[in-house]
Amino acid sequence: MDGRVRIRVDHGLCVGNAMCVALAPGAFAHNADRQSEPLDPYDEAVDTILDAAASCPTGAIRVEDAGTGEWLFPPRGS
Amino acid sequence: MTVVDLDDLFAEEVIADPYGYFARLRERSPVHWNERFGLWIVSGHAEVVWLLRHHELFSSAVIRTTSGPPYPPVDPEDLPLFDEIRSFRADQLVEQDRPEHLRMRGLVHQYFTPQAIEGWRPFVRAAVADLLDDIQPRGSMDVMTDLAAALPVQIIGEMMGVPREDRGHLREMADQILYINRGEPYRLRPLVEGVRGILEYAEPLARERAERPGDDLISLLAQGERAGVFTHNQVLVNTGLLLFAGHETTMNLICNGLLAFMRHPEQWRRLRLDPAEAARLATEECLRFDPPVKSTQRVATQDVELGGRLIRAGDRIRWIIAAANRDPAVFPDPDRFDIGRQPNPHLSFGAGIHYCLGVALARLEGQEVFRALAERFEAFELTGARLKYQPSVQFRSLESLPVTWSA
Repeated sequence: MDGRVRIRVDHGLCVGNAMCVALAPGAFAHNADRQSEPLDPYDEAVDTILDAAASCPTGAIRVEDAGTGEWLFPPRGS
Repeated sequence: MTVVDLDDLFAEEVIADPYGYFARLRERSPVHWNERFGLWIVSGHAEVVWLLRHHELFSSAVIRTTSGPPYPPVDPEDLPLFDEIRSFRADQLVEQDRPEHLRMRGLVHQYFTPQAIEGWRPFVRAAVADLLDDIQPRGSMDVMTDLAAALPVQIIGEMMGVPREDRGHLREMADQILYINRGEPYRLRPLVEGVRGILEYAEPLARERAERPGDDLISLLAQGERAGVFTHNQVLVNTGLLLFAGHETTMNLICNGLLAFMRHPEQWRRLRLDPAEAARLATEECLRFDPPVKSTQRVATQDVELGGRLIRAGDRIRWIIAAANRDPAVFPDPDRFDIGRQPNPHLSFGAGIHYCLGVALARLEGQEVFRALAERFEAFELTGARLKYQPSVQFRSLESLPVTWSA
């Protein structure tokens, strides 16, 4: 992968727990409804983004390789 | 129809059927001033979500920042005990606001992520199977004692690295701690016994884990003390919180869920068609339909308008899961128990920064229990007299749930 990722937040699942915003403020911000919104472009290490995605208690965050479209989080099969 | 004092949250009728009462309240006003207890009742789904996502306006430090006496009233000679209970509860993670809350939760959250908890599924499945292997030949059980109360203590006990032989003692203390937010005038006495018991019990464990940390939760808390995130008292208090928070709630999920299935046999048959697949959504519907926690509290940090009402700084608020989960603005046909319901944005785990830390574990335990029961039992039947609920405004807890079955 070229190091860039695409982040998606499912607003049907996001409960505004805000752990992602706390862990990776360069990649996530609150919208007016206090749900998480991925920042594009983002300014955060990919590992930090993956940690933030894993921290979501409802699994609302997906991370893909921006180049290949490969799922990076959640791992396939989970 | 029985006429209930609109503000009597502890009336027998309200304890027996909170859904009818809170639905009437929500229809009148989703944000209602309860004159009798001097607090706001927030019962609309949209209003509860808004409130929970604005943690800076609605503080969780209810015990620390409000000085009023306990409600409903307690025996006057027990009032001195209240301070002891306050100091216990004030140090709990659930009573913290930011930034302390984020520091504390940041330390423990990795233990509870969906992926981390998924790793416990084989252990939970085996624990459920062990219990049911023992129960099944008997032909009858009290679901509360034999299954619902027996399971969570094994799971959380394992996660916290609590010796197996201590789990009976933990159950006894849990029963005392569960007097929190109940209605009995004598409730502070058993509660303070439980508080003292858990502090005493946790002390040597915390000391041992600080010196020789393992991969358990108490070790995680003890390391937090070394890192300066927790005080020593906070380690002990939060050991107690984690031991018991997943306890009462999971018990209620199992009992209330199974009761819903008994009252809706067609949904039980639907679950039995494919228990492994259907248990996931079915658990969500159990959580929505008859939630383990009926309501929780906040206190306003400033004057704020909600649902057209002006809430003043310092006002106490109770937000009602049991009402929001039946809000017809969000859930079509809300009083119908439908185990295929989707989407199902129930508020049984709350929302916002305090969203239930143990959510993935609660879901896992619910799924494994309902799945295993559906695989093993064709139908359950209630036995005994009419069901009674604990007189709590917070928990939706049956006193017992005696059943028999046809295999």
